[in-house]
Amino acid sequence: MKPPRSNREFVEACLASGDAVRIQQQVDWENEAGAIVRRVCELAAPAPLMESIKDYPGFRYFGAPLSTYRRMAISMGLDPATSLPELGREYLKRTNGEPVAPVIVGRKDAPCKENVLKGADVDLCKLPVPLVHDGDGGRYVGTWHAVITKHPVRGDVNWGMYRQMMFDSRTMSGAVFPFSDLGKALNDYYLPRGETCPFATAIGLSPLAAMAACAPSPIPEPELVGMLAGEPARLVKCETNDLEVPADAEIILEGEILPDYKVEEGPFGEYTGYRTSPREFRITFRVNCITYRNNATMTISNMGVPQDEGQLLRSFSLGLELEKLLKSQGIPVTGVYMHPRSTHHMMIVGVKPTYAGIAMQIAQLAFGSKLGPWFHMVMVVDDQTDIYNWDEVYHAFCTRCNPERGIHVFRNTTGTALYPHATPHDRRYSIGSQVLFDCLWPVDWDRINDVPTLVSFRNVYPKEVQEKVLSNWVNYGFAPVAR
Amino acid sequence: MSQWEVFVNELGELAEGRDLELTIRTLDPGIHKYTYKRAKVRVSKILEELPDQLQVRFGRGQLSPQRYSIEVLEEVQRMPAKYR
Ligand SMILES: Cc1cc2nc3c(=O)[nH]c(=O)nc-3n(C[C@H](O)[C@H](O)[C@H](O)COP(=O)(O)O)c2cc1C
Repeated sequence: MKPPRSNREFVEACLASGDAVRIQQQVDWENEAGAIVRRVCELAAPAPLMESIKDYPGFRYFGAPLSTYRRMAISMGLDPATSLPELGREYLKRTNGEPVAPVIVGRKDAPCKENVLKGADVDLCKLPVPLVHDGDGGRYVGTWHAVITKHPVRGDVNWGMYRQMMFDSRTMSGAVFPFSDLGKALNDYYLPRGETCPFATAIGLSPLAAMAACAPSPIPEPELVGMLAGEPARLVKCETNDLEVPADAEIILEGEILPDYKVEEGPFGEYTGYRTSPREFRITFRVNCITYRNNATMTISNMGVPQDEGQLLRSFSLGLELEKLLKSQGIPVTGVYMHPRSTHHMMIVGVKPTYAGIAMQIAQLAFGSKLGPWFHMVMVVDDQTDIYNWDEVYHAFCTRCNPERGIHVFRNTTGTALYPHATPHDRRYSIGSQVLFDCLWPVDWDRINDVPTLVSFRNVYPKEVQEKVLSNWVNYGFAPVAR
Repeated sequence: MSQWEVFVNELGELAEGRDLELTIRTLDPGIHKYTYKRAKVRVSKILEELPDQLQVRFGRGQLSPQRYSIEVLEEVQRMPAKYR
């Protein structure tokens, strides 16, 4: 099975496997669509394709596109039942290969150009921009999308998923954090010079393009999409600037980021499960042109309590990108996993504890890397602990992490405005603090006399006794259990 | 009569009896619902005093039980002319 090349192909694949449902009755863009998507996330239900939207005939919504591992497997062209560790191995395999450059197609081969609004016709309210949560600071245009920009000097292209709120018919505001790629380009170049920054927002992307836009990978996203998909991404030139956008996207907004004018943004329901970050004057986007496909489908992610695609996908890619980083430094890690229910706040790292200070080295690399602001806990366990099994990890944490020597707090690091536990002051200035939970037996403990023996079925009985008990399990009178 | 909404940190920001400059959003039905404008306004806790209605939310989206009436005196353009 090939990975779906567009949101439409993805929706079809999800419908075919039972991982999406078609909703034909009319749905209100004000709260109702958001409430459906929220409930879908909380129940891990099939993704809703909403085919009739109040006030917006001819448009559709697709909600919670990647909030289950099944849909993530479909997006990668794999069997929906593919296990999480297998998905991780596949991501690592594909993203460790050669970058795959995108191809540029002409306008006539680009469905996103089927309808073009320019000049006085530009009005974001012509799109079914949803009020995702009651009490949000606005209707959010960008909840599952890519903001596309180009570095003015280096020329490298950035696709980032930075939320965008509709302020008025032509203006959006967004939370672009200073440590993100776009935040750095704005602060390094555009804002001090007072120059506008051309941007394009692509909504209704192929699922792998969306995955790339929110992956913390150093590979430029158009090439990363090609690597993930196994074929070049198809891009087309914008109408009003030099940027290139995915030709199969459902909706494209083109415009400029304004260096000297800001409007309020937020509050908004966030991936932590709260509305945390304050309403602030934030980065302002002025829209000059809108293009969209016939029967365009707007994608909606509804962030809140677990689990939504923000948590699922970001946990996935943050964990795997950290694994790559640690392996690139020669650290004998056996795997890295973030449980989505930690709202991507806790990295669980499995390692062969071959030398002293290895957990500290891991934490320093993790917190010191580009990934670091997005999580504040690193838990290091040994290679005998299954990092995907929370019961095992929790047991290791509660029994091996010494309160005096195993917990190390890192102060004055980089945080985000979204951390619920941070003070209002720290949120405003992205000031963070982080913690390492070292759950390894110290290397200077005698292996025979000091290190406790794990008392488990697998660890304390001879292999032949284990086999005997397993093969007789049903004969003893127990119900069968998967091994 | 139109319906408006404003976000504030505290109700003290909504002083009565003088002109205020606020960022307000329309709650009137239709496709432009929830779009904002900056405006010079007057507000009153007496709901019948001024022509339109205003509801208030706090910083994390909580709705205030205190309602106001509001008169939108004029729109204020903060956006530099070069971008309009
Ligand atoms: C649904 C969703 C919404 C996001 N919103 C934001 C946001 O508003 N601002 C931000 O800086 N990052 C946001 N992120 C995280 C970025 O997409 C992520 O950090 C991405 O890697 C951006 O790339 P960059 O850091 O390389 O610029 C969001 C992620 C997801 C999945």
